Amino acid sequence: MTALEIAHRALELAGGDAEALVHVERSGMARFAASEVHQPTLIENMIVQLRVAANGNVGSAQTNSVDDDALRTLAERARAAAAPDPDFPGFAEAAKPADVEGWDEETAALSPDEQASRAASAFDVPLPVYGFFTSGATDLALATTNGFAAQQRLTDASVRVLAATEGASGWAERTSWRVADVDPPGAAQEAADKAGRTREAVTVEPQRFRAVLEPYAIAELLQWFAFSAWNGLAFLEERSFFADRLGKRVLDPKISVVDDRTWDLPRPFDFEGTPTAPLALVEEGVGRAVCWDRRTAARAGTQSTGHAGPPAERAWGPYPTALRLAPGDAESLEELAELVGDGIYVTRVHYLGIVQPREGVLTGMTRDGTFRIRGGKIAEPLVNLRFTVAMPDLLGEVPGLTRYTQLCGQSDFYDERYAIAARVPALATASFNVTGVGSEPGL
Amino acid sequence: MRELCDAAVDAAVAAGATYADARVVVRRDQRVSTRNRKADDVTDVESAGIGVRVLVGGAWGFASTRDLTSAGDTALRAVRFATASPGRHERALAPIAPARGTWRIEVEIDPFSVTVDDKISLLLRAEEAMQHADVKVTEAFASARRETKWFASSEGAATEQERVECGAGIDATGVDDDGYQVRSYPSQHGGTTALGGWEVVLALELEREAPRVADQVAALLRADVCPPTVTTVVIDSDQMQLQVHESVGHPTELDRVLGAEAAYAGTSFLRAGDAGSLRYGSPLMNITADATTPLGLGTFGWDDEGVSAARSDIVREGVLVGWMDSRELGGGGFMRADGWARMPLVRMTNLHLEPGDGSFDELLDGVDEGIYLETNKSWSIDDKRLNFQFGTQIAWEIRNGKLGRMLRDATYTGVTPQFWASLDAVAGPEEWKLGGLTNCGKGQPGQGARVSHGAAPSRFREVRVGVRA
Repeated sequence: MTALEIAHRALELAGGDAEALVHVERSGMARFAASEVHQPTLIENMIVQLRVAANGNVGSAQTNSVDDDALRTLAERARAAAAPDPDFPGFAEAAKPADVEGWDEETAALSPDEQASRAASAFDVPLPVYGFFTSGATDLALATTNGFAAQQRLTDASVRVLAATEGASGWAERTSWRVADVDPPGAAQEAADKAGRTREAVTVEPQRFRAVLEPYAIAELLQWFAFSAWNGLAFLEERSFFADRLGKRVLDPKISVVDDRTWDLPRPFDFEGTPTAPLALVEEGVGRAVCWDRRTAARAGTQSTGHAGPPAERAWGPYPTALRLAPGDAESLEELAELVGDGIYVTRVHYLGIVQPREGVLTGMTRDGTFRIRGGKIAEPLVNLRFTVAMPDLLGEVPGLTRYTQLCGQSDFYDERYAIAARVPALATASFNVTGVGSEPGL
Repeated sequence: MRELCDAAVDAAVAAGATYADARVVVRRDQRVSTRNRKADDVTDVESAGIGVRVLVGGAWGFASTRDLTSAGDTALRAVRFATASPGRHERALAPIAPARGTWRIEVEIDPFSVTVDDKISLLLRAEEAMQHADVKVTEAFASARRETKWFASSEGAATEQERVECGAGIDATGVDDDGYQVRSYPSQHGGTTALGGWEVVLALELEREAPRVADQVAALLRADVCPPTVTTVVIDSDQMQLQVHESVGHPTELDRVLGAEAAYAGTSFLRAGDAGSLRYGSPLMNITADATTPLGLGTFGWDDEGVSAARSDIVREGVLVGWMDSRELGGGGFMRADGWARMPLVRMTNLHLEPGDGSFDELLDGVDEGIYLETNKSWSIDDKRLNFQFGTQIAWEIRNGKLGRMLRDATYTGVTPQFWASLDAVAGPEEWKLGGLTNCGKGQPGQGARVSHGAAPSRFREVRVGVRA
């Protein structure tokens, strides 16, 4: 049976108003350390999430057994979990999601041997490498008794490479739905080249710097800002930076942000059956929209933007998972360094924490390639730096962005495999607040 | 299920594995939450599957499936993956006597026998008690897990374990033009969770604590911002638990020290030869790892490679004396996996800061001028676990040994060994509290671990507070 057929079977056995979500995963990850695969993981799983609604009560339950007995039991458990839900917006009605590309036979067919060999193809660089190669094939099907029925097959592949030794480290990654776009040797070479420039790192006095942020760094910062800034629930509860700022110019006019799940790692409908479409979040520095699912949209008196998350994350509220930061016209990172003049250069950030969501304040550390910029040139390597930044400040004065953009994976593959990524250029900022210093790069 | 594990192990060995183990895990998780006095999220998740780990020619392989009828095929896939990933060195496992037997936690009230209606009623009562004109959002949540696990290995291990965990908590949020303020009880991270039945939730007395939580949010909206300075800090049990977790727990995981997590969670500032000599902190610092702690989320009969639960010293009188490790790394007793679809990793069990002497008030007595910090709000630490920055939900000035005005948006920052060297008092056993975290992330693909920490309020000198953007 296909995922969609299982979803329909679950609805049939549930009786009454219901929604069935089926997710099928077949994936492999060859995780490596010191240029040796040390944690290889193969996963085959299928989950069925059933929501039932009756007499003003809504309940849900999930299983990974899909025979008829298991699906009947699932329906009983969902009914037992039902609770009064006066704000329930109903299940999705019939709709036709957009046709998207996102299934690649070569990626889907990768065997464990091929996954391992692609990981090993990253090992031929002068420094030990750490990271993983992974590929997966997933089916997502959703059906409701209100008439929505759709299925999406998606492949994804990623390589992430840290090249590191004592006192030196560099980072690179590649992500795509087509494994042909994912080049482990290229990523390893980029990481090793970067690492080679980080030896004998020196310290700096904490202060507010101008900075160049590589795509890896700005993608992660933007994604963490997004968790609350463009989250409809946080907006309603006034925890979002944009709570009273939509329609106002709050960021540099060079900043435009769209959430677009129609390409890269496409997702044509969300986890409750709303078709997705590009959503302009910021246009030329002006806040335009936040993300809604059916429940929060009903509270706000608007329509869902198709941002209902997977069941395990639904309580967080709807937030963007396919951010695209518009490019600029700088031809290179070196050109951005010229625009910065005097400042720092950040390859990657680590362990972000949300200090104050309403003002978009994040803290974290730089790692795997932090440098001083002097006279418009990338200069000596620096130790890892602690930063505490208000994202609206960081994005408030942007001297430039690169013309090229890069897709940066944002999935750490906890729980079910829902690959997400952000496509961003490199960015120069006039405000990157360094609040402490850490250790030298490397192991 | 035993037979499934045995079949998987036999298939792996027949295919060339020099070592194999198999785990069948059957898990049920239920979470109930309310928000602004309405049921918000009720989820009931069941999962079952088998994971097979093999060693072939010195290389690991791991494969997992939900299809329990294909245990043998899954073992062969694990062997194939290992064969395709040849290592450069032999991996040997520290010898142990094969674990055999059963272990289960006894509970007073089976949490799955309590109806969803009753759970929601309890949460709504707590929310009702948090109603306050200045509180924008109230939330209450409770969770329960039952997990049964069968384990077998090619060395003859055969165990069955069943555990039940429950947790609960409440949050109140207030918002003004200067930001948002939140207060939680008993902890920020979804409340606290412990090994035990529904009695764990009842013992928290959410409704009793709710008015204080709401009142403090209202007061925080009017409180002064924590000023930037370097001063003495007294840190409450809850925040100390996270401090131990981040700045002692992770850096003393030996797999991190040896680079297994370098690309993701990070490494450690420690080196493998540091045990027995490295001064981690002041002589008042005593850290133990204890997989036998009553109520502890890191408590078990055997870990996920069949090593019996034990207690060991990690830091004694300020000196690093032990690691959390695995059989491959020469010891063992710390290997746990997040369910059937993940490979076991070195994980904290229950990691405690052992109590010192005296009361909380006596800690304050030693402070002419300082800050008291309570309940975690934000956290971040670098890849070597050196430079950290934490925020707390609430703080108070300390003046001449007494708590003074309330402060908001408090943060503190430091570097691990210097910070722990500045420890000059730990309160006594009567102030020591156990808390359970359910969101410790590590590994790729990502794994969440559940771990408990015990700590008493502690005092540190010369700490930088009030970091601002």
